[in-house]
Amino acid sequence: MTINHSALARAARVLAPLALGLAMLAPNFAMAAETVNVYSIWPENWARPMFEEFEKATGIKVNFIRFSSGEALARVMAEKNNPRIDVLFGGPVETFAAGVKEGLFEAYKPPSFAALPARFRHPEGLWIAIADDPLVFMTNNKFLKENNLQPPASWNDLLAPAYKNMIQMADARTSGTAVTRIFSVIEVNGRDENKAFEYMKKLRPNVQLYTKSGGGGTLPVGLGQAGAGIFFIVDALDTKAKGYDVAISFPKEGIGTAAEAIALIKGAKNPAVGKKLIDWATSPAMQGQFAKYKINFVPAHPDVAVEPSLAQVLRAAKIFPIDADYAGANRKRVVDRWIAEVLNP
Amino acid sequence: MMLSRVLSDGEGGFTFSGIAAVVTDRHHVRAFGNSLLLATLVGFIGTAVGFLFAFTAARGRLPKGLLTWIDAAVLLPLVSPPFTTAIAMIFSFGPRGLITYDLLGLKNITVYGLSSTLFSEVLTYFPIAYLTLRPILAAIDSNLEGMALSLGATRWGVFRTVTLPLCVPGLANAFLLLFAASLADFATPLILAGNVFPVLPTQAYLQITGLFDLRGGAALSLALLFPALGVFLLQRYWVGRRHYVTVTGKGAGQVPFDSIAPAMRVALLAACAMVAAIIVYFYALLLYASLIVALGANHAFTLQHYRVIFTEGLKAIGDTLIIAGIAMPLGGLYGLLLGYLVAKKEFPGRRSMEIVSMINYALPGTIVGIAYLVAFNDPPLVLTGTAFIIVACYIFRYGPTGIRATVALLQQIDKSLEEASQGLGASSSTTFRRITLPLVLPAFFAGLGVVFIRSMTAISATIFLVSLSWTLVTVKILENITELSLGPAAAFSVLVVAIVFVVIALIGWVLKFFRSASMPVTSLIGGG
Repeated sequence: MTINHSALARAARVLAPLALGLAMLAPNFAMAAETVNVYSIWPENWARPMFEEFEKATGIKVNFIRFSSGEALARVMAEKNNPRIDVLFGGPVETFAAGVKEGLFEAYKPPSFAALPARFRHPEGLWIAIADDPLVFMTNNKFLKENNLQPPASWNDLLAPAYKNMIQMADARTSGTAVTRIFSVIEVNGRDENKAFEYMKKLRPNVQLYTKSGGGGTLPVGLGQAGAGIFFIVDALDTKAKGYDVAISFPKEGIGTAAEAIALIKGAKNPAVGKKLIDWATSPAMQGQFAKYKINFVPAHPDVAVEPSLAQVLRAAKIFPIDADYAGANRKRVVDRWIAEVLNP
Repeated sequence: MMLSRVLSDGEGGFTFSGIAAVVTDRHHVRAFGNSLLLATLVGFIGTAVGFLFAFTAARGRLPKGLLTWIDAAVLLPLVSPPFTTAIAMIFSFGPRGLITYDLLGLKNITVYGLSSTLFSEVLTYFPIAYLTLRPILAAIDSNLEGMALSLGATRWGVFRTVTLPLCVPGLANAFLLLFAASLADFATPLILAGNVFPVLPTQAYLQITGLFDLRGGAALSLALLFPALGVFLLQRYWVGRRHYVTVTGKGAGQVPFDSIAPAMRVALLAACAMVAAIIVYFYALLLYASLIVALGANHAFTLQHYRVIFTEGLKAIGDTLIIAGIAMPLGGLYGLLLGYLVAKKEFPGRRSMEIVSMINYALPGTIVGIAYLVAFNDPPLVLTGTAFIIVACYIFRYGPTGIRATVALLQQIDKSLEEASQGLGASSSTTFRRITLPLVLPAFFAGLGVVFIRSMTAISATIFLVSLSWTLVTVKILENITELSLGPAAAFSVLVVAIVFVVIALIGWVLKFFRSASMPVTSLIGGG
């Protein structure tokens, strides 16, 4: 085992500093004035066209990276003393509420602030909604046919024995989707919590898996590994658009919806451009573009019309907003009860 | 080392009350028990499977072509992010799985739970055991076995009383590595464990990303350190009591002989082939998914996914290659030097240095990632947003494989070899360079290979370290999976597999100029 040490050493001596110097000492920091740094919670295929439109409209380049809501918030918390970004973009209001508690955001009221309904804005402007996202039932068509079922049209339809061990939905410990779902059940039961939990306990044997993320069950339902699930409409319509044979339906008793938001980071390095992005995203300028890019969010701004085919899906649906005060006051208790009585009885 | 210190200090300050909370929560206690059970099973079964492959490869007298194929199949699981295997598992063994439902017609199958998590983790991690054990088996002088045989021992007797005992340091090290890897793995259980089998790393991840509770997550993760440390100390105690020197410098020419009976050889080969076939099936599925429009919906052939990754994904591919290219040699050196220091030198704090180096490895990646982020976001040392932080994380997190391999190999080398060199007037640095270094090179390449592979495939820690300037292929894969774009995710994975294999082949080719003995290319990272 003889080794030509000098050759190895020479190669290492030449290459290492070169590689180090070139690659590592010059990270291309986006310091130009006309660049805004963003963490996007929206998936890249929706965020990218929006940001490209923003650049076209304003000449400001958006430098962004995508994280799930929990990861994005954990990062912003960890970077609190030396923020890396100016704006946190997209993601459920819930995530932003948690960020407000941690003191991560700077209050800012964009021009659209006054036009928005109260549930689409934080009273002091610590976050502002850019879209609305209702829950839906999504079922696999092949599964429905095999079991001679119609797409579920009531919460009680999901209790049928045919669904035994075939439903996937999100876990309330980690997912805003799940919290919205649980408050939907409480709401349709007239805020009678005991009755709502009775229902959820009855549903439990039919649940194959409580997934960590809100959309975690969409692929299994699309593939037919699970028969049905409860998801946000964007995830469900996206599954359908990918070519999976799924049906989307709404319960006649009604189902909840949750807003998506944007916020300015406290201590942001480029607050001025960050505010420009917020101005744009909260206005019809951005929300009017959802349809063009097949982004199936419901616009938050009242002046933007809902895209016709999405409006068609939503036409017969009974959708109600989750009361923010009620949910905020009861969330922890309800989730704890869900863990104790439904998840681990 | 500095990094590790910062880590353990930064995390250690506020955790005692947190740990108390963990101990009292009944769900967490259950998750803790599950983690231990899973890690122990993965440790035992993974080491056994790894040993089976290493033994077959080292003693089976296989034709070189076959050996290369087995090597390649064994390396596959190491080379791909665990998410993809987990999804292939669900697709194949789920309630409407390709195998369970379409092929076997089974209904009401539950894919979520201990058995599938165990299956997937063993398949993912046994190559580490293989890589650790192969050089050790190769280093055992087969004359020893030959002598035992000629002294009248049966083949089984030789295996039991000579071969196996000599492998003890390697087996213990492999077990430790697998145990720690399973303890730290959150991705596989995230997808496969389901609600009936919660484990602690997943709980810690959820505590942070779901409940936004950094502190609680850190406390949960730190609870995982105790079993890892326990196994580590046990392993030290067990291995440390005896001597395993087989490389004495007095070896004569190796006399080839048959250490296994022909029937046994067939059985071993069949067992290896079966495991390899399962692996190949999973990756064939992956390749297929990358070439069709959408798995399970539209199976028309398309190259669209590859077009996507070579346009939108190009930056991530470039960044990943640069970072992996830098981390690889540094990580190999780190493993070699630290392993050498730990095994051969006496100095104060040696043991704590060894332990601290293992902490990076045994902690769940989520915590390591956040700890790095917190530690290096503020002056004096601002590294977030640079490639440095990712490289550092890779070196310190995956270097320990090299450390363990070096330590295990050095325990086989007789000290008299070095003493002879020094006795003949060579300085201690010359001795290291001329005697020890060539002997531990297999371990160096094992460490180097693992660091490179992990640099290409790691996800849990780096998700917190990628930045606006530096992104990674694995983060793209995860994103595509969460977006339901299995096609691009599969295409990225196939690309990662291809790159790793090309790089390993390249290293092998370059090394041929340095080494007199030719060897199968992939045995490189196994030592050979």
